[in-house]
Amino acid sequence: METPFIELKGITKYFSRVIANKDISLSIGKGEVLALLGENGAGKSTIMKVLYGLYHAEEGDIFINAEKTTISSPKDAINLGIGMIQQHFSLVPRHTVTENIILGNKSGILDKAVLSRQVRNLAETYGFNIDPDSFIMDLSVGLQQKVEILKALYREAELLIMDEPTAVLTPQEADNLMAFIREFVERGNSVVFITHKLKEVMKVADRVIVMRSGRILGNLPKAETTEKGLSALMVGKELPFLENKRRPVSEIGVDIKQLTVLGPQGHVALETVSFSIGKGEIFGIAGVSGNGQQELGEGIGGLLPIKSGDILLDGKSIKDLSVKERIAAGVGYVHADRLTAGLVLEMSLSENMFLKNSFDPAWAKNIFINRQKLNGYADKAIEDYSIKASGNNELVKGLSGGNQQKVVVAREVDVGRKVIIFDQPTRGLDLGAIDYVHKTILAERDKGKCVLLISTELSEIFELSDRIGVLYNGRLLRIINREDADIETIGMLMAGYEPEQGKTHEP
Amino acid sequence: MNRSKAKLMSPKLRDLIITTFLSVFLGLAVSGLMMLFLGADPLSVYGRLLQFLVRDKYTFADIFVKATPLVFTALAFAFTFKANLYNIGAQGQFNMGSVAAVFCSLFLGGIVPGPIALLLALTAAVVSGGVWGMMVGYVKARFQANDFLVSMMSVFIALALMNYLLRTVLIEAKREYPQTDTIIHDLYIPIIASGTRLHAGFILAVTVAVLCWIFLYKTTLGYRIRVVGMNPVAAKFAGIDAGKIFVIAFLISGALAGMAGFTEVNGVQHMLVQGFNPTIGAEGIGIAILANANPIGIIFGAILFGALKVGGQILGQTSGIPSSIIEIMEGFVMLFVLISYYFRRRIETRREIKKLKSEVAQ
Amino acid sequence: MINLLSRAILMSTPLLIGATAEVFAERAGVMIIAIEGIFLIGAWGGFVGAFTTGSSFMGFVLATALGVLIAALYGVITVKLKQHQVVAGTALNIFIAGIVTFFHRVLFGVPLLPLTIEPFKTMPIPLLSKIPIVGPILFSQSLLTYVAYIVAPLGFFILFKTSAGLVVRSTGENPESVDVAGINVERVRLIVILIAGFMGGIAGSFYSIVYLGMYTSGIIGGRGWIAFAICFLGNWNPLGAMVGALVFGIAEALAIYMQSSGGGILPNELLIAMPYILTIVLTISRKRFNVPTKLGVPYIKEH
Repeated sequence: METPFIELKGITKYFSRVIANKDISLSIGKGEVLALLGENGAGKSTIMKVLYGLYHAEEGDIFINAEKTTISSPKDAINLGIGMIQQHFSLVPRHTVTENIILGNKSGILDKAVLSRQVRNLAETYGFNIDPDSFIMDLSVGLQQKVEILKALYREAELLIMDEPTAVLTPQEADNLMAFIREFVERGNSVVFITHKLKEVMKVADRVIVMRSGRILGNLPKAETTEKGLSALMVGKELPFLENKRRPVSEIGVDIKQLTVLGPQGHVALETVSFSIGKGEIFGIAGVSGNGQQELGEGIGGLLPIKSGDILLDGKSIKDLSVKERIAAGVGYVHADRLTAGLVLEMSLSENMFLKNSFDPAWAKNIFINRQKLNGYADKAIEDYSIKASGNNELVKGLSGGNQQKVVVAREVDVGRKVIIFDQPTRGLDLGAIDYVHKTILAERDKGKCVLLISTELSEIFELSDRIGVLYNGRLLRIINREDADIETIGMLMAGYEPEQGKTHEP
Repeated sequence: MNRSKAKLMSPKLRDLIITTFLSVFLGLAVSGLMMLFLGADPLSVYGRLLQFLVRDKYTFADIFVKATPLVFTALAFAFTFKANLYNIGAQGQFNMGSVAAVFCSLFLGGIVPGPIALLLALTAAVVSGGVWGMMVGYVKARFQANDFLVSMMSVFIALALMNYLLRTVLIEAKREYPQTDTIIHDLYIPIIASGTRLHAGFILAVTVAVLCWIFLYKTTLGYRIRVVGMNPVAAKFAGIDAGKIFVIAFLISGALAGMAGFTEVNGVQHMLVQGFNPTIGAEGIGIAILANANPIGIIFGAILFGALKVGGQILGQTSGIPSSIIEIMEGFVMLFVLISYYFRRRIETRREIKKLKSEVAQ
Repeated sequence: MINLLSRAILMSTPLLIGATAEVFAERAGVMIIAIEGIFLIGAWGGFVGAFTTGSSFMGFVLATALGVLIAALYGVITVKLKQHQVVAGTALNIFIAGIVTFFHRVLFGVPLLPLTIEPFKTMPIPLLSKIPIVGPILFSQSLLTYVAYIVAPLGFFILFKTSAGLVVRSTGENPESVDVAGINVERVRLIVILIAGFMGGIAGSFYSIVYLGMYTSGIIGGRGWIAFAICFLGNWNPLGAMVGALVFGIAEALAIYMQSSGGGILPNELLIAMPYILTIVLTISRKRFNVPTKLGVPYIKEH
């Protein structure tokens, strides 16, 4: 039996409110792709961050080539040949690709020309098409990820840990990545692939470890697994099937006409986008993040000015209304960045429920906040949405991600009497919370509201939407009825390729 | 949470009180060590100090006299701090308030009945300080200027302006020194404890502090100010206009500092002279820091600093210790309080992990 | 006129040194709010060192030692203990004001006449200082001035052309990128803070050793803040700081000139307030800024 390259024994890690890893033991062999599978919150990222030296475990040991090793910082991990590509890149947007790659790797005076050439050569070795002198902030997310990979390769990593790498890629880019992984592993290196997507595991892994609630529940070679079996291990219980009764839609509630919106840097983020949402309809927007989704949400919500075009709500234009006025008109907005845009972490649950109501006289007695009414409202939300909190005065920062999102959803669903925009509503949530949010979205649709669902999770789009539009490079390429949609077509559209017409969209 | 736990003080509050007392004690202790450099014995010095503070009604009341303007300048800093803004300009806004108060008092003295004139002087001080502060807020809202820098600079400009006015327009009839004439007796803020200098300004200060607390935590506008301070992005999404909030926060902040001008001119000095109360701006910031920007805590912090100042004066008179010992005591206390914040957070985190571990064990 | 320009460069010296120090620190994400206090303790330390030993050099030594000491304290509180930079800096500034006054009394009591030291002599560069017009302005300055105008471009080179500079800049833009590269973020920040303390101490000592030849409590009078502002206005670039320092140097020289020539039209107080008004005006009119993205944010790793 070959000694494994890396072995973790009995790792336990606490955070201030949660047990992230409990007694984790696993091994990684040379030349193998190990998939760490589990839903959000299972502890997969945490254990790998312990290996990478970003976190210190309370208990347990690490062995590299059978020797007990202490990894106290990423520097140690990198010196041992371990590289990690995290979900949130640690790149400096204002610096160039070369500057980001050589950070910490070179000392003394920098010869930009020589270093750029080195980086270019390295990129070409792996078939990456990157200009080393371009700025990170000008690159697509997929290319930024390649820069992160180059960083590890520059340090001669023998193990690449990838945390949910396909979350930011088109299906085609994801295939590209898988090909790279296979090539990398064929050279005798190892890859740990952290994911919650079963399909990816089946495609790329040699071995699968399933984690749930901080513990390991299964550790098998891929050949011995089935999708159903893995799913059962991941979730641990049967989730009731989500009923989605679609009804025909008669009235149009929201009408987007030739909308053009500029992004914060002045570039065109949305170009002549047109579609409508009926009352009692869920319109899903599919697409890889960075193609204008956020600007679409923010344009409708009132945070970005409209360059041209119009937004009609119940036939009346709202494009000149301020955010405050749109909230009053009944536009609810669950933003993709729940922590920065949707919540004030240092405030209580009650006070967070007040966020969109602070101008509404119905909530105030003169200049004073009607605390009783607010607390009652918060208590009702806690009950209706099964929010796990010690009370309406608990600070929101103490809630789990899923419960935090429930607070946002509870509030926005109420604010959005007519329209609710959901942008990545279930990102980072565990299955229970995801189910809850989905049920809520369907319930709101059934009340006759217009729902705009923006998500990079295709399964979510397919499960909930009545109609699907694909955003690519700021343009709405096509609108398809759910019954007529298939993943392959949508995937191609997401990458800018229009299947029937055979046209590719130039960036 | 079961009933019995709710009755006891929450551990966080207990930590706060203990660490604050500890910090103050350490601060005074280390300052005492400094006295050794002068050949004085800190224990006997502090001993005598305590005796003087409590023996004499006049001296004891002076603590609150000194605390009064500090409450205002501390509130000024704390108010904008809640909006994540830095008003370093309280000293300048105080000066402008003083100028307005003395101008109003000199001008109206004898013409308008006392109480009304007092009210007008207060209003003038509030408006003057408010406008001076609001300029910073406006510049921040309109030009995204750095509020820290601009408010800091405004202090020096205010000082220059005040000195200029004292030398020219406001100068005393004698034209000998750069100071004003004294204001007439009618325009003194009434004394509330006979035999002392304690005037109604202190009551005003405490009332205003409580009003600030109510404003920040009980009103919708106060809520919006706090949202802007804690999470400006969420504020934007909530339809709150950050620029408007900046202006309002600085306006109120400046007005608060201006009030100190009124209490000092009409309550204590009864005139305006160059270089009076040159440190209350910075001390206000220190107190706000100590009290973690909580208006109620500020009242106590101001009283503490007031005690330190009176104490420092007494030390100068009785033990020959220079008045700079006051700033040393203030400085050390502030530094220790800052350090204590860190330890309090550590203790809190450790407590939570312990709780978690015990929950797991069950 | 020549005198005016020569004096302008002289007055710009401490501002440039302080601003360059601030640029480095802020590029790494730390605002040295304690800079006014560091200037003050530098001025005082410089005076004490020079007065007690008779040597200006010892003055500089003491000034920098004290500056580094204060910077270390500031660094521990803001970087290690992760406290608010504005709060910590303000506390230190108040503290230093008290300590300096106190120990001045301890050491010197209350002298009847102000104590003086031999003012630092200018060091004209041979040959170059003889060039008409340019010579007296540029090349008849004190050693400290030459040092300042070499350090600034040197700082520019280090910041933008070396790996150490890249690390500093990355720390201010995205400390996580530096952390992940295996470099200790806290150590980077502490180092720039200590350097700032060293340079701030020297800058402060300029006022007592080179310029006035004595120490008074108001000797700094907000100039530490002007250096702070110059970092801002110079777009966080040492070369920009050079321009900024010169502008303020001219402003100060002008004010002194006009005050001494009887003032005339403009009141004295206005001249005194000029640098501060100028700062505000420039802060408003400057449009493009390269603020380091994570300026002022303490770096916290585990959450």
